[in-house]
Amino acid sequence: MLQVENMTVRFAGLSAVSDLSFQVSPGEIFTMMGPNGAGKTTAFNAITGFVRPASGTVSYKGVSLLGRSPDQIAGMGIRRTFQNNGILREMTVLENVLTGLELAIPHTFWRTVAGLPGARRAERRAVAQAREMLARMGIADLAERNAGDLSFGQQRLVEISRALVAGAELIMLDEPAVGLSPSDRHHLAGVLRGLAESGIAVVLVEHVQDLVMAVSDRILVLNYGKCLAEGAPDAVRNNQAVLEAYLGHE
Amino acid sequence: MADSCKYKRRLAWLLLFVALALLPLGVNNYVQFVINTMLVYCLAALGFNIVIGYLGQLAFANAAFFGIGAYAAGLAMARLDLAFPLALAVSAIAGGLAGGLVGMPALRVRGYYLAIVTLAFGELMRWFYVHADGITYGAGGFSPPPPTWFGAPLNETGKYYVFLAVLALGVAATQHLLKSRIGRAFVAIRNNEPAAASLGIAVARSKVVAFAWSGLIVGLAGGLYALLNGRISPDTFGLAQMLMHFAIVMIGGLGSLLGSILGAVLLTGAPELLRNFPGLEEIVFSLLLMVVLFFMPRGLGGLIADRIPAVRERLYRE
Repeated sequence: MLQVENMTVRFAGLSAVSDLSFQVSPGEIFTMMGPNGAGKTTAFNAITGFVRPASGTVSYKGVSLLGRSPDQIAGMGIRRTFQNNGILREMTVLENVLTGLELAIPHTFWRTVAGLPGARRAERRAVAQAREMLARMGIADLAERNAGDLSFGQQRLVEISRALVAGAELIMLDEPAVGLSPSDRHHLAGVLRGLAESGIAVVLVEHVQDLVMAVSDRILVLNYGKCLAEGAPDAVRNNQAVLEAYLGHE
Repeated sequence: MADSCKYKRRLAWLLLFVALALLPLGVNNYVQFVINTMLVYCLAALGFNIVIGYLGQLAFANAAFFGIGAYAAGLAMARLDLAFPLALAVSAIAGGLAGGLVGMPALRVRGYYLAIVTLAFGELMRWFYVHADGITYGAGGFSPPPPTWFGAPLNETGKYYVFLAVLALGVAATQHLLKSRIGRAFVAIRNNEPAAASLGIAVARSKVVAFAWSGLIVGLAGGLYALLNGRISPDTFGLAQMLMHFAIVMIGGLGSLLGSILGAVLLTGAPELLRNFPGLEEIVFSLLLMVVLFFMPRGLGGLIADRIPAVRERLYRE
């Protein structure tokens, strides 16, 4: 589904990601781990069109993503969240999720301006879809709240709802568990498993090891922009190089 | 409960409509002129608020759009002999095109740089009005022919109904736009541009659309201004005009349609009340601006919305 081959990203001559290769299949939870500055978010940004790789290829369902803008990549069914909270703070939760349906609401500019019934019907359908997504995520009661007033954990769930509402087939979550309480983490783990069971591919960047080990099908550990290890959670947990560079000896 | 709210809202709109329709019966010609001026500035502020309030771009081309609209309507009447409704359509189109053009730099520059670029555009337009006298009648300006309605001159009351209808259409169309995915895209860009792009929002296109719609509405306001004043000259569309629009939007409230209207009514009405007290107008104007910025950062629109939830502006309302 997602195929990254020999991807290198450089900033001012320094390699933030070097020769990175991996692939993700439908229904799989694939996690990138590594210390701060290892290049995880840079890899995310390169895949989703925010940064252009210096070399290598990135393709989704056989179609190259290189040279495409973030909104075009979103239109192909890849949605992401942000490490430093990509919530739209001044909007309500419902409006946030409706924004995720940007590409799914059919409209023509002049029909919208004239307020014709077709445009209003499309809007009502979108609202019903957004409410349904909020209900699936267990946050329907927050719909009318201002997103900026929610707890960090709730904002993360809103971001995930927004990313999923348009029927994304690949979702990339950048540190979704940071700042979450243990119960919120437990809820998030359930949500992630549910997504994978429904056939959605999940790519995670995450530091919270209990969550990563509990939900991931495969883990890739990055260090200084390079792949240090890749494999099933148990194999990675016991990998000597990973223990020395990142997880630490117990 | 919902039905009762809907009924009350409809009743409020009906009462407002009747009051506005009957308003000219109780005022003299001078007061009518002041009210007409308010309507022009309501529309101008509404258009300006789209870019600075909803899209969150520090762009100051509104005086330029206002001038372009005024010149387009005036020249259409003076040089092409067009009837005023067609001249107004020309002013809207000219403003919209100028808006789209000014939106292009906003794709590359932002913040103070965008402010300077857009201010420079305004000055460039003024230079054009002064020096392209073969088209614009030069520095002295010109007087377009008085607007007529089925052969009869349009008096202040007639202008009032035309202006009111144009404002109502402008408000309704802008509200439809802002409460659709297009308006949500504007606010999403203001809130978090990378997040907006990651949701499939074409940021560049949305910015150009916002600028073009803003230009269209402000251009239309400029067209009304040409009808209102009957005199168009380059010095009307300078920095003072820009500051007037800016003060209206800041006092009314960024990102508030209601605020745009309240700000325009206050700032065009207050000077008339203070006309007999020389010097006081500027002091009151400055104090008002400071008080609002210190104590009501969301302006009058925000203040009212906080107290009356029914008028709170949402990008979606069931």
